[in-house]
Amino acid sequence: MSLEIQNLHVRTDEREILHGVDLNVAKGEIHALMGPNGSGKSTLANTIMGNPVYEITEGKILLDGDDLTEAEPDERARAGIFMAFQYPASIPGVSVANFLRTAVNAGREEAIKVKEFGALLRENMDLLKIDPEFTKRYLNDGFSGGEKKRAEILQLAMLAPSIAVLDETDSGLDIDALRVVADGVKAMQGPEIGTLIITHYTRILEYITPQFVHIMLDGRIVREGGPELADELEDKGYDFVRDEVAAANGG
Amino acid sequence: MAASFAEQLSERRKAALEIYEREPVPTWRRSGFWTTTLRHLRLDELEPRHYEPVATFGDLPATVTEALGDEEPAGLVVQRGATSVYSALDPELAEQGVVLTSLERAVSEHPELVERWYMKRLSADDGKFAAATAAFWSGGAFLHVPKGVRVERPLQVVYLIDEPGTAQYAHTLGVVAENADCRLREYCLAPDFEGQALHAGAFELYVEAGGRARVAHLQDWGSGEVYDVSEKRVEIARDAHATWIPMHLGGHLTKQKLDIITAEKGSDMRHSGLYFTQGHEHLDLFTTDLHEQGHTTGDTVWKGALTGTSRASYEGLIHIVYGAQETHTYLQTHSMLLSPKAKGDAIPSLIVKTDNVSASHGGTVGEIDETQVYYMMTRGIPRAEAVRILVEGYFEPVVQRLEDESLEALVRARIAGKLAEAEEQVVEFTAQRASA
Repeated sequence: MSLEIQNLHVRTDEREILHGVDLNVAKGEIHALMGPNGSGKSTLANTIMGNPVYEITEGKILLDGDDLTEAEPDERARAGIFMAFQYPASIPGVSVANFLRTAVNAGREEAIKVKEFGALLRENMDLLKIDPEFTKRYLNDGFSGGEKKRAEILQLAMLAPSIAVLDETDSGLDIDALRVVADGVKAMQGPEIGTLIITHYTRILEYITPQFVHIMLDGRIVREGGPELADELEDKGYDFVRDEVAAANGG
Repeated sequence: MAASFAEQLSERRKAALEIYEREPVPTWRRSGFWTTTLRHLRLDELEPRHYEPVATFGDLPATVTEALGDEEPAGLVVQRGATSVYSALDPELAEQGVVLTSLERAVSEHPELVERWYMKRLSADDGKFAAATAAFWSGGAFLHVPKGVRVERPLQVVYLIDEPGTAQYAHTLGVVAENADCRLREYCLAPDFEGQALHAGAFELYVEAGGRARVAHLQDWGSGEVYDVSEKRVEIARDAHATWIPMHLGGHLTKQKLDIITAEKGSDMRHSGLYFTQGHEHLDLFTTDLHEQGHTTGDTVWKGALTGTSRASYEGLIHIVYGAQETHTYLQTHSMLLSPKAKGDAIPSLIVKTDNVSASHGGTVGEIDETQVYYMMTRGIPRAEAVRILVEGYFEPVVQRLEDESLEALVRARIAGKLAEAEEQVVEFTAQRASA
């Protein structure tokens, strides 16, 4: 059971950004997708989620064998894919608690009981060290960077997806906030969830160790390996990978 | 004394009638492209309709009880067509000297109070419909909350138009005396019907020194061809406060001028409004935040949404007169287009005749933010529901200013109902925008 990305070509505004990406994330696995700014990481995350800004010109996105290439974002979400946004939108006028209840209910046949929802919310807020007052605020409206990321991970915990894509969840966080967020993500790991951590830096990987590391450059995955690849990157930097690729292409 | 004001009133009605007969049916033009015209109104086919009074709250027409809820308000005056059909006030409030009755009755029972305030801020010589109201009003509503009396539960006034062919001339006069405090809700309601009707209304409320009033207007004339041409004023005296929240949730054509006046030092106002237009509705609002003295404060926020081929124009003026230094006020207006064929205007403007004030304003006309819709969809929420939540969330800050749970619930439900009616069209429109 997994998310399969096959030969994905994506364009926006007449420019191709992804030039044939293949990636499989199975339940129970943690993957890290690393790459410098502008390499296409966020495009991949948003294309997995179905952002209408990006046009898929070739390739497929499958979840447990079902073709989701043409599916609307809400269908993908209900099928079990979740993305934590790098820059989540603010939703003025809608409280965190109301938003969460709506989102939880969207994925269910019958509305969740008030008591059950309350218990689930409290449990996850404890896990993420979130003040109960937080849930009365309008979602992401006037939130600090750290609060936004926490709200994203709270949603991840509440929605319990089978595939989680974390887009630069570590960016803009101080060390304490990073630890809380990373601990939260870690606590959610298990056989029922596959996680794709998208990051520029290796620091979140000090808290969560991926089994698989993929490096993306200029819209292609150029190297893949185990956790040692992240260490190598930490030592040598992206220029090293870039040079290596250039050399391999006879450049 | 009583006879003399009644006589004076009939003289004033005669003078207003002369103005009415002299004045043409107006057309309002602004900036060359926005026109509000009454040329489709067949005024001579409309007439005041009279009804039998009802004995109990439960006997009121369903349009009224559905809006007001099951519980009888602390005080209520209901005008159906041209007739004041029901009037009730909690005896405890009456004992404290609170008056809530038809204006007609107040003229004979409290002439000295009515005389003191009647049309202080309204003029019969303000076009055909202001004259019509001054000449022809019947029934009406009169509220007086005496010095120092606080009324917690909302006092309520209803204008109901039941059937096509009705011309309703309405006049509400309210006075909140020194250090008194109350809430007033005024409803303008009609069931859905086919045909024309007119509501020409006057509303004036005076908040005396140290007093506090929270006023809500809820207009829902239904889907009939109801024209609403009204003038409304709220005047706030020294160290007094008024919160004024007009809500326009239905009306074939609405042309209203609303002025909120901080008339003396230390007076403070909050003015928020909302509108939701649909179908072929046409709404034209002009509000003035008038500061006549210094050391006054104001805060105006209006929000609207448009569906169908509706038109809505909101123009909000901040006017600070010469010498009104140390005035601090602020006005913002937003209009959200939910249909490619709707047209909206949000125009803030400013006249400042003195120095040492802060007055800021802003206006936007926009659409649903597609990044917000996408974000919500990624949480499994279908587009239609995401749009509904966003529109409700957009209005929510204004709705919460009501600080009145049952009315908030009613407004939310009516907005949700209107959105549901337009759902298909709104979803299609935003989806097109998303992939554009």
